[in-house]
Amino acid sequence: MRGYGSVSAAAVASRLGSIRVGKASVIQSVATLAVVIFAVSTPGFLSETSIRSLLTTVSFVGCVAVGMTFITLSGNIMSFSIGASMSATTIVFMVSVGLGLIPALVLAFLFCAALNGVQGWLVGVFRANPIIISMAAYSMIIGSAIYITGGSGVYPLTDRADILTRNLGPIPGPLAAFLLVALIGQLILSFTRFGRNIYLVGANPHAAKAAGIEPWRTVMWAYVAAGLFTAVSAVLVAARYRSGDMEHGIGYEYHAISAVLVGGTAIQGGEGSVLRTLVGTFFIALMQGLLILRGFGIEMQYLLIGLMVLGAIMLQWKGRT
Amino acid sequence: MQALPENARVEGAAAAAPSDSPLSVDPIFSVRDLSKSFGPVTALKQLNVDFYPGEIRAVCGENGAGKSTLVKILAGVDRPDAGTIWFDGQARTFSSALEAQRRGIAMVAQELSVCPDLSVLDNIWLGSTDVPFLHRRKELRRRAAEALSLLGAEHIALNTPVSQLAIGERQLVEIARMLTRNARVFILDEPTATLSDSEIDRIFTALTRIRQEGHCVIYITHRLAEVFRICDTVTVLRNGEMVGTSKTADIDRRKLIEMMLGRPFVEMYPQHGYTAGDPVLQIDALCVPDAVSVFSAVVPRGDIVCIAGQVGSGAESVIRAVAGLVYNATGSVRVNGKPMRLGSAEEAFKNNISFVSGDRAAEGIFSTLSVTDNLVATRLKALSRFGTLSPGSLRLEALRLAAQAGVDQRRLRARADNLSGGNQQKLAFGRCLGRAQAGVLVLIEPTRGIDIGARAEIYQLMRELCAEGYGLLVASTDLEEVMGIGDVVITMYRSRQVGSYRGKAINMQDIVADITHPLH
Repeated sequence: MRGYGSVSAAAVASRLGSIRVGKASVIQSVATLAVVIFAVSTPGFLSETSIRSLLTTVSFVGCVAVGMTFITLSGNIMSFSIGASMSATTIVFMVSVGLGLIPALVLAFLFCAALNGVQGWLVGVFRANPIIISMAAYSMIIGSAIYITGGSGVYPLTDRADILTRNLGPIPGPLAAFLLVALIGQLILSFTRFGRNIYLVGANPHAAKAAGIEPWRTVMWAYVAAGLFTAVSAVLVAARYRSGDMEHGIGYEYHAISAVLVGGTAIQGGEGSVLRTLVGTFFIALMQGLLILRGFGIEMQYLLIGLMVLGAIMLQWKGRT
Repeated sequence: MQALPENARVEGAAAAAPSDSPLSVDPIFSVRDLSKSFGPVTALKQLNVDFYPGEIRAVCGENGAGKSTLVKILAGVDRPDAGTIWFDGQARTFSSALEAQRRGIAMVAQELSVCPDLSVLDNIWLGSTDVPFLHRRKELRRRAAEALSLLGAEHIALNTPVSQLAIGERQLVEIARMLTRNARVFILDEPTATLSDSEIDRIFTALTRIRQEGHCVIYITHRLAEVFRICDTVTVLRNGEMVGTSKTADIDRRKLIEMMLGRPFVEMYPQHGYTAGDPVLQIDALCVPDAVSVFSAVVPRGDIVCIAGQVGSGAESVIRAVAGLVYNATGSVRVNGKPMRLGSAEEAFKNNISFVSGDRAAEGIFSTLSVTDNLVATRLKALSRFGTLSPGSLRLEALRLAAQAGVDQRRLRARADNLSGGNQQKLAFGRCLGRAQAGVLVLIEPTRGIDIGARAEIYQLMRELCAEGYGLLVASTDLEEVMGIGDVVITMYRSRQVGSYRGKAINMQDIVADITHPLH
């Protein structure tokens, strides 16, 4: 397991037990305490229905955020196209589900991995700016999707995918999937050569190269991994709404990168973890849920997420100087 | 000499000079009982030191001695925890670097703050509050030219974009900028680290001129030869404490090193001799466009081959090409007789070539990662089973490498950027040690910016590698180092291989001649 540097509110929320000294951690502890008081004092928050719905919605974004973590850690900031590639994958899944569930799943995962892998290859080999590449990809994915589907969603007349909407005992299905994805992601990062290479390349690609690691290969596979994690979210969303639609993934890239940053993964790469992203995801969702229960509208949610991302970035910067 | 009229000269007319003063004037800059801590680390302990107008003062000490902290406080970048700073006879606290600059303290940092795309003239006046809204360009040109000629840099045309100037000339532009702002104290932090000899001469000329103007130069350097060449006095710090200030004429190199180390000086370079082992690395007709015309060499097992040359001579490019970091290098490189494809670092690594860069921050270490991560970076493949790694085996390997490289084993979890430069370099070395098969180590400036104590350890480490059967190929601009460690010395001048000396034939005279103006 990697050592933590105190970075953001959510990172500290995950380890309330540990006592750390320093100005930043005081801010973080106070923030965490405030959230807890806010949560407990909010009527209806501790009810089962509200917690269940919160956990379900957070899980879709969470899987994408785990994928985004790989891209951020590898030193490539973020992908703008990850939401669009998720949407496109819901369409691929729903179109091919007529062939049977397993083939459809395989196709969906392959498609999403390839879509992101190509971007990773471009970023790695040509050392192209990852933001620009993913912006171009975003546009191209949306353009091609609309061209092929004529702009409408796909609604297959089959219930083959419904099995994906089931729950795992008392645990909502999507949450189980998210936790599993996060676990796999963290295991890859901590205990595989590929995972360590992501940290090395993200921390310093030149030093990695000098140490005999080919940065482009690591970057490409990091994008492939991001694609696979995103595909998990895509098939779950598609099954839940029984449709494939370019609307499904709108805004996912933004929510995912927010979770990564609020979790405390360094935007310049090489520092962070999936666990932090997990915490960041829940932290944001918690705040959103609270706002809804307290009767605030969507505008307040956006404002709050913006503030949290801003705060996370400022704290990162503060920790560096 | 057309002195800038604004430059308030501090004339040496002080009546009662302090008794400890090496010059008979009042100090321009004094600190009394200065202390500064960073968290639990004490950087400066009750430091007392005076700086005088009209002197070039070297500040020496090992890494972590407090040199940088001291000058950062003097330049207003950091604030002291306790103590007073006297400037011009008045107690002052600088709340910012900008304020210190307004008072006449100029810091020329290692990373220059020039704008490459602007002209020399624009760079000199950039951000100056002296420039009126409706300024008279002619007047500004005249004053900029004056500042440059004062530094002996008349050859720099005011309209040239700074990007076309050499690094040394950019430093001169920056110093000229400080001069136009009436700076009286010039702080230079290792200005010559990346300069060629002729550029160093230029900087030294400029510094001497500044001294003649009655200004004070505070000069931080690791290169002891420079201390004796250009500085009048030297202040030595150790562990944040003052060791002493002395006239350079009154001490010698050995004495200075002993002051810095705090213990008797032992020979820095381990004993060695040309062993003439079987060749482990053979380079034939290596060519790098625009950097190396033709280069051939043989590195025997157990020997250190040094490529000596000034900055830009191509020595670095040879190393980079052998390490597989130059995509368009051509020629033949064989390791243990086996030909190797050029242009791929991965390929070079597979062929048992390890590379240690002189630029630690850029390509040496992973600064945000732990010491363990840094040490095992090259080992992941060897330690992994079906792509998976166990933390236990990583830790064991890190412990082993740390012990071998002389890195404190208790600091395996520390972030690499919390280590001193010397320890960071040991990390970069440690990564190359103990491979299953002894191979080739190629290095660029292995001790750049590293203090004397750590430097001796690194030379020792290099010799241990030789004993293990490695062959080392080193590019260095530091001739003292080349003389001290090279079993074979190859000289380069402007991308051309000039001479080759072995064992007893290695001598300073020929090497200097080769790398400055070769006869053939």
